[in-house]
Amino acid sequence: MFGKKFLTLVAMVMLVAVALVGCGGGEEAKSNNAANNESDVIKIGVYEPLTGINAAGGEMTVEGIKLANKLYPDVLGKKVELVIVDNKSEKQEAANAVERLVNENVDVIIGSYGSSLSMAGGPVAKDAGVPVIGCSPTNPLVTKDNEYYFRVCFIDPFQGTVMAKYAVETLGAKTAAIVQDVQQDYSVGLSKYFVDAFKELTGDENAIVAQVNYNTGDKDFSAQLTEVKAKNPDVIFAPGNFLECGILVEKARELGIDVPILGGDTWEAEEFLNRVGGLKDIYFSTHFTAEEPVTELSSTFLTKFAEEYPDKQVNAFAALGFDSYLLALDAINRAGSTDHDAIRDALAETENFQGATGFITLDENGDANKTAIIKKVADGKFVYETKVEPK
Amino acid sequence: MDSRKGIKTALTIVTLLLAAAVIYFGDSHLSRFQIRILNLAAIFVILGLSLNLVVGFTGMFSLGHSGFMCVGAYTAAILTMSPESKELIYYMEPIVPVLKNIEWPVIPATVMGGVVAAIFGVLVGFPALRLRDDYLAIATLGFAEIIRIIVTNTISITNGALGLKNIPSEKSLWFYWGICILTILILKALINSSWGYAFKAIRDNEIAAEAMGVSVFKHKLLSFTIGAFFAGIAGAMMSFLITSIDPTMFRFLFTFQILLIVVLGGMGSLTGSVIAGVVVTIAMEWLRIVERPMHLFGMDVPGIPGMRMVIFALLLLIIILFYRQGLMGTREFNWDWVLDKLGVAKSKERGVS
Repeated sequence: MFGKKFLTLVAMVMLVAVALVGCGGGEEAKSNNAANNESDVIKIGVYEPLTGINAAGGEMTVEGIKLANKLYPDVLGKKVELVIVDNKSEKQEAANAVERLVNENVDVIIGSYGSSLSMAGGPVAKDAGVPVIGCSPTNPLVTKDNEYYFRVCFIDPFQGTVMAKYAVETLGAKTAAIVQDVQQDYSVGLSKYFVDAFKELTGDENAIVAQVNYNTGDKDFSAQLTEVKAKNPDVIFAPGNFLECGILVEKARELGIDVPILGGDTWEAEEFLNRVGGLKDIYFSTHFTAEEPVTELSSTFLTKFAEEYPDKQVNAFAALGFDSYLLALDAINRAGSTDHDAIRDALAETENFQGATGFITLDENGDANKTAIIKKVADGKFVYETKVEPK
Repeated sequence: MDSRKGIKTALTIVTLLLAAAVIYFGDSHLSRFQIRILNLAAIFVILGLSLNLVVGFTGMFSLGHSGFMCVGAYTAAILTMSPESKELIYYMEPIVPVLKNIEWPVIPATVMGGVVAAIFGVLVGFPALRLRDDYLAIATLGFAEIIRIIVTNTISITNGALGLKNIPSEKSLWFYWGICILTILILKALINSSWGYAFKAIRDNEIAAEAMGVSVFKHKLLSFTIGAFFAGIAGAMMSFLITSIDPTMFRFLFTFQILLIVVLGGMGSLTGSVIAGVVVTIAMEWLRIVERPMHLFGMDVPGIPGMRMVIFALLLLIIILFYRQGLMGTREFNWDWVLDKLGVAKSKERGVS
C-alpha cells in the first residue's frame, strides 16, 4: 500500500520532530537553571505514576496538586513552580525520577501514589537530604527508618484498627472472617491490624473464624466465600482492589451471605459502586467526605474542584494531593527558608495542620494522625456514616 | 593463525585500562543522577546479554528471565540486610530464625544470588527444555509467574507483598560496570568456545546439530543455566541499586523490556545487546524532556505524560521495519574490522568473527 519511500519519509519527519522537541526541552531546562540561580522561584517536585498500571491514581493526585498550586501560587513572596515527573509505575523509574528531581534542585518533593514506588524513591531522597511528603502511600514501611519521608494519609494499621473498632462497637460483631488479597501489601497490612484489634476488642482469641486468600486478578471467589459462609461470621472484612472486591461482594450476596462486609479506602471508586450500588450493609473507611466537610478548607477544596474539573468526581486522592502541596507550603513558611533541613524540621513539628482531609498531626515516624471517615453504600451512592477520631 | 594477534591483545588491554580510567573519572566527577542512570544501564546490559545467550545464541524462546532476576534479587537482599532491619521490616510475621542473623558483604551475596538463580535454572530447565519454540515460551512464562506467587506467599522468608527495604546500597560505578565488563568477557569467551559453537549449531538446526554429535539437551541446559545465573546477578545488583524490592517488580512486562533490548541490538550479537542496553536506558531518561510543557514552532504545548513511550515505540517500529536484524544482526565488534579500516598491518588472514 505505502511505498518504501513513503515510509522512509515518515521516519525522517519523525526523527526531525524528535530532534526539534529535544531542543525545545533543552532550552527550557536552561532557563529553569537560570531561574533557580536567582532563586526567585520555589520548586516543588512531584513524582507520580502518570503512565503504567497505577496511572489512574497518579493522575487524580496530580489534579489535586495542580488545583492547590493554582489557588495558592506563592510562598515567602516567591512563585511556586511544580516540576512533575512520571515514574511509569515502576520501581527503578521511581528511583530515577526522585534522583532527577534532586538533580534539578527542588526544595521539597511530593509523591507517590503506591507504597512500592514510594519505597523506591525514599532512600534516594534520604541520601540527598531532601524532604518528601507522601500523599497516599499507606504501607507503614515507607516512613520507617527514613527521617526525610512524611505523609498526609493515615497508614494501613490505623485503617484496620478503625474498621475493627467500628465492627465491634457499632455493628456489635463477635466473630469475623477475613478475605484478603495476598499480592497486595495494602490488603495484607489492613487484615493483619484488623485481626489484632478485633481479637483485643472482643477479648476472644478465636474471634476470627476464617481467613481466606485470593490473588489480584482473580474473578471467581465461590470457593473462598463458601468456606466463609460455612463458618457463619458476624462480619466479613475484605480489603483489596475495587475491581476484585466488587465481584467478591456481589458474589457474597448472591450466595446468600447477608452479614455486613467491610473494606478500606480503595473501595471509593465508580467501578465499585456500579457493581454493588444496589446492595446493603457495605461499609468502608476513607480519608475524606464531601457531605460532612471536616474543616473549612474541605469546603474550599470541594467548590474549587467542582469549578476546575466539572466533569470529574471529587476523590480522596485529589484531596490528599491538595493537602500535600499545602503542607509543603506551610512547612516552607514555618521554616522561613528553602533550606532542606529547615523544611524537614518544620515538617516534623507539624501539629493540627488544617487540610482538606482533616486536621493533620505528624507523629515521630512522620505518619499522619487524623480523622477517619466511614462510609456505606446506599441507593447506588456512597453515604457518609460516621467519623472515627484517632486515639 | 592470526598475524595481528599481538596487536589485538594489546588493543583489548588498552581498552580495558581506558574503561577503568573512565569509571575512575566518572565516579568522582559525574553527578549522582548520571551515575544512577549509568548503573541502571549496566544492569540492563547484563540482562540483555544473558537473555541473548538463551534466545539469540541458542535459539530457545524463554520468557522466564524476570523470574530468575526475582530469585537473585531476593537472595542477595535477604543475605545482606542487617538483623535490626530484618526485625523492623518483618513486622507481619518474623523472619525464619535461620536467616535472621545472616549479614553478608555485597559481592559474595551478589554471586550467591546468581548461584541460587542458576540452581532454579537447572530445576526449571530440566523438564521445560524438552519443549521447543512457543511451548517453551509458555512454560518459562508460567515459571516466572510461579516464582512471583511463591515469593508473595512465603511471608516468613520474603515478607510477602510488603516487600523489603533498607537493603544496603551500592552506588559506585566500579561495582556495576566492573561486573558488567566481567560478564561481557566471560560470555565472549563462552561464545567463541566449542560450547558456543554448539549453541549456535543448535539454534540453526537442532536435528543437524544432533546428527553431528552435539548433545542437544546438555548444551541447551548449560546455556539456560548460565543465562539464569547472570539474570540472578543482575537481579541482585538491582536490589542494591534501588535498595527496596517487592514481588510486583518482576512481572512479565519486565522480561518484555529485556527482550526489547535483545531484539533491538540484534539476536545473536553481544555487541548489539551492550549498545541497545545502554542506549535504551539513557534514551528513556533523556526523552523525559518531551513530557515537559514546551514551546514548539511558537506554540505552547502542554506536557503529556507517556509521550516518551510513544516516541520510543515509533523508533522501535522504524527499526523493526527497516533493520529487521536489529542494530547489529549477528555481527560482533572485533579488532580486525577496526584494523582493516585503519589499514594497519595488512594481512591476508582474517580472524573468524
